[in-house]
Amino acid sequence: MEHGFTWFSLLPFIADDPERQLIFTTIFIAAVLFIISAKVFNSIKKSPNPLIPQKKLSFQNFFELVIQATVNIMKDIIGHHAGKYLPLIGSLFIFILFCNLLGLIPGFLPPTSNLYTNGACAIIVFLYYNYQGFKEHGIKYLKHFAGPLIYLAPLMFVIEIISHLFRPFSLMVRLYGNISGDHAVLAIFSGLVPLVVPVIFLVLGLMVALIQAFVFATLSTVYIGLAVSHEH
Amino acid sequence: MRKWRTAVMVIGLMLLISSPVFAEEGAAGAADGSMSKGLIGLGAGLAIGLAAFGGGLGQGRAAGSSLEGIARNPGAADKMFVPYILGLAFIESLVLYAFVIAFLLRTKM
Repeated sequence: MEHGFTWFSLLPFIADDPERQLIFTTIFIAAVLFIISAKVFNSIKKSPNPLIPQKKLSFQNFFELVIQATVNIMKDIIGHHAGKYLPLIGSLFIFILFCNLLGLIPGFLPPTSNLYTNGACAIIVFLYYNYQGFKEHGIKYLKHFAGPLIYLAPLMFVIEIISHLFRPFSLMVRLYGNISGDHAVLAIFSGLVPLVVPVIFLVLGLMVALIQAFVFATLSTVYIGLAVSHEH
Repeated sequence: MRKWRTAVMVIGLMLLISSPVFAEEGAAGAADGSMSKGLIGLGAGLAIGLAAFGGGLGQGRAAGSSLEGIARNPGAADKMFVPYILGLAFIESLVLYAFVIAFLLRTKM
């Protein structure tokens, strides 16, 4: 989509290529997150008793809050061994959340308003849950695709493969549609009335950013949970 | 005579209004092309409009019955939150497919 002024268009190499700007924005967010998490890691390592939370609001408090909430929701969905899958799901949640929130700052494009950024995340989730399924069940994982009756298996196999292939696609399109739609609404209304009115849509954008990052992480968790679950 | 003049005026007015539309087509826009472009625009608008209609109805039902559930049993609100958001996301994704199709159609215009 056409976008007006962006801060990254001031940089020399990526000025006139929107794709390069998006890639740079993604790298920028990844770098910011890396620096913040390294700082938090150091502060936890240095503190004499890491179990006591810090008094003031800090990045450490923020990360503890987010990770605790993520683990709780994952335990509700997968079960008690959900912490094994936290590294991927937690990183995805925080990364997508920051990408979405960046779109609310004037002069920045959210990287998640591009199909390829979301596609990369979705394909990683797809490969990861299949890998975890095979790791958990071995070759018996293929039984998940075969359906309940053995003579229906050829039919069910095709249907299941299509529905599994559709999962990363729907993850990708859902995030892209929500964020780019939200960004377009914000752009149109701040074009119509530059003052006061866009605040409503900024608040809406805050909610959309949070909910979409949450939905992406939760759906990935559900897919992993379905892949590694044992039938009782 | 008077009818004739009114008809000319109406046609002139229509041409005046539609001139920006024709102007955007550029050199390639023949009379045939403008029709198909209009149809593409109509299709894109109808796609997202109908999808928003259906998705709104579906999400309204989901939100209504979950509020009813919370009103009957406020303690269940926390447990209902994740399935509720997931249900809304699944309904919404269908609308978003239509949005993407409308968007793709727009690039074809």
